[in-house]
Amino acid sequence: MLGLAFLCVCLGGGRIALQAQEFKLFDRMVQVHGFASQGFVYTNDNNWLTMNTSQGSAAWTDFGLNMSSEVTDRLRIGAQGYNRNLGQLGQYHPSLDWAFADYRFKSWFGLRGGKVKTTLGLYNDTQDLDFLRPFALLPQSVYPIDLRDATIAHLGGDVYGTISLKHRFGDLSYTAYAGHRNDSIYSGYPFYLGSFGGHITSFGGLQYGADLRWNAPLKALLFGASRVNEDITSRGTAINPFNPWAGLVPYAEASKADWTNQFYGEYTVGRLRIDSEYRRYWRNQQLFGGTSESLADVRGWYVSGAFRISKRLQVGSYYSHYTITNVVSGALSAVYPSTTDTGLPADHDYDKVITGRVDLNRFWNVKIEGHFMNGYGSGPYPNGFYTQVNPQGFKPNTNALVVKTGINF
Amino acid sequence: MKCPKILLAGAGLMILAALNARAVDVKLIANSSVKADRISPDEIKRVFLRQKNSLADGSHVEPVLEKDGPSHEAFLKMYMGRTDDDLQTYYRALVFTGRGSMPKALDSDAEMVAYVARTRGAIGYISAETSSEGVKTLAVAYAGESAQRTLITRIEPEYPETLRRLNIGGTVRLRVTISAKGNIEDVQLLGGNPILGESAISAVKRWIYAPSHSRTVAEVSIPFDTSH
Repeated sequence: MLGLAFLCVCLGGGRIALQAQEFKLFDRMVQVHGFASQGFVYTNDNNWLTMNTSQGSAAWTDFGLNMSSEVTDRLRIGAQGYNRNLGQLGQYHPSLDWAFADYRFKSWFGLRGGKVKTTLGLYNDTQDLDFLRPFALLPQSVYPIDLRDATIAHLGGDVYGTISLKHRFGDLSYTAYAGHRNDSIYSGYPFYLGSFGGHITSFGGLQYGADLRWNAPLKALLFGASRVNEDITSRGTAINPFNPWAGLVPYAEASKADWTNQFYGEYTVGRLRIDSEYRRYWRNQQLFGGTSESLADVRGWYVSGAFRISKRLQVGSYYSHYTITNVVSGALSAVYPSTTDTGLPADHDYDKVITGRVDLNRFWNVKIEGHFMNGYGSGPYPNGFYTQVNPQGFKPNTNALVVKTGINF
Repeated sequence: MKCPKILLAGAGLMILAALNARAVDVKLIANSSVKADRISPDEIKRVFLRQKNSLADGSHVEPVLEKDGPSHEAFLKMYMGRTDDDLQTYYRALVFTGRGSMPKALDSDAEMVAYVARTRGAIGYISAETSSEGVKTLAVAYAGESAQRTLITRIEPEYPETLRRLNIGGTVRLRVTISAKGNIEDVQLLGGNPILGESAISAVKRWIYAPSHSRTVAEVSIPFDTSH
């Protein structure tokens, strides 16, 4: 129903010029902006992203609305609500996407406090905003849409700024942050644990990190690096893996060492934009109260190019490379063997993508995208393919047609 | 035989038109609350990218854009180095992550002047030919320019199409002699591609500086970026 409502809004949007709203409150301007998108995915094999895509699925809707105002020359406040449904994920449970106060002392030093989008690589904080780029889906090796909640925001504070380097060496922008991350129980990893009979009731913990990016003197050339450390705990119940007939037992997993390193570069020349990123996620978890340990090494990288043919038309392509290994020790190793061969389809996902984007007007776009995937990287940390929606088992290759339309104002 | 002559004449006219075509020149304007009289290109870029909301003298500034049109195009080319689509995408990323607001966008130079005149801290741009009555005109302080002189009118040099197509660019360095009245008396090429140098000299000769007590000599660097 929401998809249909969205379509109506879009069809109306062609005739009605959507506009950001502005009004005065206590003599200060308040801006209101919003966005919404609707996607459709069809795959030849394997159901993808928790949707029934082999039959064609439009269970992919999201929307957000924000308000912000400059209270003083240096102080900004604002908040954004966000809601999504992606197959079995999100399920239209609304969330506070960000809500913070931002005080900028100088261009080289500012503070943000509240719920803040996490700066990680080129696109982590803007990954929901597909109207900013030609692709319907970001490279899933680095920005898995099903695991969005794992990195999207933290409740805490940032320090940030931009420093001009002398002798025309460009600018350095930095962000450092610390806070509490709280994953939705309707996100990818809790859903994945459901395939083992797990039911997660809470998932989150401390996260802190930093991002440093260098705007080189050569115009539109950027290099950067990000690092996040996490101390995450999840709790709930699970089927006893050693005695499945014994019923549910308390389940807990906690970070022993969780970190992510990301390196990236971006270059724009005329109508061509090229970017590339590498992410390594080291995930060392203690399971079932420390009786077992899992050490997953998740690596992803991509190279992407996009070209603007005209004001209304963009085309793009990327190659996305994902691998995962997992070493299990302790009692669970008898039930779940280690997986270290990234040549197996279960331990990788290589995705070749082509896309085209048409801007029907300034506020409304339509995208058509083809994905040609080898591998399904199904565990022990998910990457788009889940056993619950593929009960017949996985096939090694998946081709996908993605059509997405979105509005923003 | 008539056809080639007509074609040649047509091509000649087109070349003449191209030679006479001149990009719109823009000037920076600000509300009277802005204390500064000068602004550097780097500051302009940072202010309009919302990385900076005050100038070196502490004046609060708020960027204002035109929605489209020749002044807007010229401003983007001269100071921002990005297309309107890229700039809008940049602003949307700020707006939807909460890191900045969308600048006010206006329809014309006249609207821009009126808005800047009545809005504290507003900074915008208009065509160099448009009257800036009621607002302050900011001089753009380029690197290498004499600190004593204020540039009022800057004409951008033409980039010869053949050189652009061949990816021949670089920076041209000029020594400029400015009269006390502010006119350019002499321009000498110090370095850079000679063809680009000719184009740069032709433009710089039309620059106008603010009057001063005496004649001054300044060194000016003009980049020719093959990507734009």
